[in-house]
Amino acid sequence: MRYGMVVDLKRCVGCQACTVACKSENGNGPGIMYTKVLDQVSGEYPNVRKQFVPVLCNHCKNAPCQRVCPTGATYKREDGLVLVDHDKCMGCRACYVACPYNNRIFLKRGKTKSGYYGKEMTPYEKVKYAEHQDGIVEKCKFCAHRIDEGITETSCSQTCPADARIFGDLDDPESKVSRLIRSRGGRQPLCEDDTDPSVYYLD
Amino acid sequence: MGRAIPLVEKEFVSGFRQQTEWAWLIASAFFFGKVGSGLFIMSVVLDSRLGMLVGLLIVLVGKGGAHFLYLGRPWRFWRGMARPNSAWIARGIWAMSFMMAAGFLLLLLPMSSALYMPLAVFASICAFVVAVYDGFLLTSSPAIPIWNSALMPVLCMFYSFLGGTTMVLFMKHMGFMQLDEKFAAFLPTLEIGLLVANLLIVLMFLMGSINTGSAGRESFDLLVKGPYALPFFSLAIGVGLVFTLLMSVFGGAHAGAGTVALITVADLVGHFFIFFLLLKIGVFKPVLGFLKI
Repeated sequence: MRYGMVVDLKRCVGCQACTVACKSENGNGPGIMYTKVLDQVSGEYPNVRKQFVPVLCNHCKNAPCQRVCPTGATYKREDGLVLVDHDKCMGCRACYVACPYNNRIFLKRGKTKSGYYGKEMTPYEKVKYAEHQDGIVEKCKFCAHRIDEGITETSCSQTCPADARIFGDLDDPESKVSRLIRSRGGRQPLCEDDTDPSVYYLD
Repeated sequence: MGRAIPLVEKEFVSGFRQQTEWAWLIASAFFFGKVGSGLFIMSVVLDSRLGMLVGLLIVLVGKGGAHFLYLGRPWRFWRGMARPNSAWIARGIWAMSFMMAAGFLLLLLPMSSALYMPLAVFASICAFVVAVYDGFLLTSSPAIPIWNSALMPVLCMFYSFLGGTTMVLFMKHMGFMQLDEKFAAFLPTLEIGLLVANLLIVLMFLMGSINTGSAGRESFDLLVKGPYALPFFSLAIGVGLVFTLLMSVFGGAHAGAGTVALITVADLVGHFFIFFLLLKIGVFKPVLGFLKI
């Protein structure tokens, strides 16, 4: 089993619903985003094309972040998920500079102590921020906690109104993700870095 | 015509992104690590116990302190030794620990001891690893093409030897180190040779970085044309290598302690800034590099 995601660039409308759903699911404070949608403008006037590019941790099979991690905080599960053990991370940020997709976030000191609405945190923020630690690196977990509870869909893919994010098992040839990759020629981002990411883009 | 792919910061726009996490503290750690280990190796060769002690202290306090201040969770530093099989940081911490243990033990042993020579060799090998491992660390990151160069460890090695030689010259002229006449006469020539070698390696590194793809080219442009061009040409190259070389050739070690102190300061300034700037110009590729823009 290897969990992965297909991102259909033709379907993404750039609404950032996935960004908000992810923040809500993981209780991420201001400035912390495991996923987001980038704008990409190409061409020259009058032939200009705008595209939305959702980005997240690619849960690479050959993950450079795992290779360079000196503490073993970044590890790989049997189902292909690359996760960070918060209690082992010492905040050296080697993984941050090794990730070709620049999808890791360092939580500076105090980052989990202030909420969105001034000094006083909301009850939701008090509960959710306590799950994070200052001074360590975090990233998208492919909603590992949901998978562990039997929900095999990430929060972002469930929320996407355009069905631009599809989550599933890449090792199963009959899964929706595998069929989409086969039929539409899914491309792995920055495949030249030999990371074998588990996120495929359809364009 | 405007830029095809922009250099972006935190905004939600696709483009090249500069790394912002490794900056002056990591550059300081690299700097102290190389100067300290270079001085230690030179002092072992020249049998100077004071030089060895200063080298060890520079690595322990300077490098160790900078890393400690930088870590998000400093008291977990010991966890960094867990994976030497794949992580260069872990290898570096092990090498630094062995260098400290062997180095301080070496200071306690008399030179006539049978253990002295094997321990000196072992400590020097560890010091060599401390000097070059950050080059391998940067090279092992595929994310930032300009760092992904085989010349990076070579650059670290030569800068370490240069830093060590400069520090030995400085200590000798300040009267802290007594050297054999033969070695003392050879040191200024070695200094000039290392300065020329470093200048050539920096040049080769820059030439090579032009061909490291679009992100490498972006880094190169930041360094030679962009906001970092002034400190690069003035401090890293001008003061650190050209001025030092001219002073060494035309004034040199024979011109007195003041000149040697000036050479030392100039060399160390250049040494710090070259690695600081190499860290600052690290640029990530756009995620969808395959899209034609």
